[in-house]
Amino acid sequence: MTSAAIKLDQVTKTFDGRVLAVDSVTLDIAAGEFFSLLGPSGCGKTTSLRMIAGFEHPDSGRVHVGGNDITDLPVHRRDMGMVFQSYALFPHRTVAENVAFGLRMREVPKPEIERRVAAALAQVALTGFETRKPGQLSGGQQQRVALARALVVEPPVLLCDEPLGALDRKLRQQMQFELKELQKRLGVTLVFVTHDQEEALAMSDRIAVMNGGKVEQVGTPTEIYERPRTRFVADFIGEINILEEGGLLRALRPEKIRLAAPDGARLAGTVETANYLGGSTLLRVRPTTGPSMLVRETHAGERASRTPGDAVGLIWNDSDAVALES
Amino acid sequence: MSAAPNRRPFDAGRAAYLALNALLLAFLLLPIAIVLVFALNPTPYISFPPVGVSLRWFEKFFGSSEFMNALWLSLWVASVVLVLSIVIGAACALALARGNLPGRAVLTAFFMSPLMVPAILTGLALFQAYLLSGIGRPVWGLIAAHTLVAVPYVIRTTLAVLHNFDRRIEEAAAVLGASPTRVFFEVTLPLIRPGVFAGGVFAFIVSFDQFPVSLFLVVPKGETLPVVLFNYMKFDLDGAIAAASMVSILLALSVVLVLERLIGLKAYVKL
Repeated sequence: MTSAAIKLDQVTKTFDGRVLAVDSVTLDIAAGEFFSLLGPSGCGKTTSLRMIAGFEHPDSGRVHVGGNDITDLPVHRRDMGMVFQSYALFPHRTVAENVAFGLRMREVPKPEIERRVAAALAQVALTGFETRKPGQLSGGQQQRVALARALVVEPPVLLCDEPLGALDRKLRQQMQFELKELQKRLGVTLVFVTHDQEEALAMSDRIAVMNGGKVEQVGTPTEIYERPRTRFVADFIGEINILEEGGLLRALRPEKIRLAAPDGARLAGTVETANYLGGSTLLRVRPTTGPSMLVRETHAGERASRTPGDAVGLIWNDSDAVALES
Repeated sequence: MSAAPNRRPFDAGRAAYLALNALLLAFLLLPIAIVLVFALNPTPYISFPPVGVSLRWFEKFFGSSEFMNALWLSLWVASVVLVLSIVIGAACALALARGNLPGRAVLTAFFMSPLMVPAILTGLALFQAYLLSGIGRPVWGLIAAHTLVAVPYVIRTTLAVLHNFDRRIEEAAAVLGASPTRVFFEVTLPLIRPGVFAGGVFAFIVSFDQFPVSLFLVVPKGETLPVVLFNYMKFDLDGAIAAASMVSILLALSVVLVLERLIGLKAYVKL
């Protein structure tokens, strides 16, 4: 399967001439990359995706795919795959007809359609479901049909708009593995929109964190998590402590803090609450001065070493407290 | 030893609910039952209790060329009205729901207005308009008038379907390579079809039963069944009227059933 690089070049989109949805966004997505657009609702991630798909036309800026400027190309000539949160299967058609749709539009000969539909359904483990209607399938099965329908045309680009958002937690996790494995095997460029930071961290090669129509930071999951550039990124991804040192903000992850005796520690305080999370415990510590601190204690034994009311000291390395842009 | 099965306690609310339903059903069906009794009663006037069962009034109805011509004209007009109002109504509904038209609420009210105006006024107005413009009273004029009254039903049922329409389904088709025209015929039309045809059933019945509008627009020897029945009743009130009513009811019912069978009005529970 071929894959194509995507470039958004200073793309801006307003709605009703007033609401600024996407504000001069520039992104370079490599061919074959699993790229996530991550952010809260209203941050412009879905609008950005819809401009790549061609559902929205940017007010200014250009969209390139595979080196070609496709900004003015209508949706149906862009040769992309897309998976929607609501699945958007054709309710009046069978599973096989749903998957065959894109091939039929491309006027692929009938025997080849049958062969490729069968292969696509096998790929998502839905062989035997050909004659069912979407309404007769579970959410996970519908999502796999949607995936097969998008991938059967072998698009160079696959766009996913919160595709796992409607699934329950266990199934979502399983689909995360399946989707990532499928993407690597096919080598397709995948643009994945999500508001779920865990999902983005788990699946992506790179992530763009968006806020208020702008890209706050682009980087690998490790970079985004370990080296957040702005306070928004630090806050949005995982738990964080924001320290203020001489007018400069620093971000410190709870797991970078170690518990110690109160004497001689960088901060001394009392454990307020201890939330047991299974493999670890998240402690909230109220220091003698300053705001509360979150501390993650990974425990080898059954429980955390501290309980609420205990006096503790906190220590951490300077290099783990990441300076944030103001 | 297993526990004795629990007996459901008597539920007064449920009993009352069922009784109310039975009452409503009786209220709706009783008039039809009475018509049937009169249609089968052999006395030459409408009387109660019936004295026997006979098909003489059905024979009279089917044997009368006046009734038969009127029945065929009504069926023919209603069928054309069905087709016209489906096409016009669906197009209007799509434009209203999708067209981004300025003053959409006003336009919707305007298209729905034939439902608000008493049909007898619509009939009178069209009669005057036709006469003044020199059109006269051709059959197509009658068809146009019926269509005018029937279209709002199709608009209403189609708008209801469009209101719950997930447009992502159309977007999915477009991404897969379907041009706007193909999206319409492959996705939009099949999905709004149940709403369109449900409106079509109403349109057929509205035309087939239409009296006030037809009254002004039919010509002698070219009268629809309701008008012929009305004229007949002015002089005779025998079982032939009841027989004609039964035939009308059965015809309307069979149109509904045939459409239901062909189109499957309930085929798409989930859109």
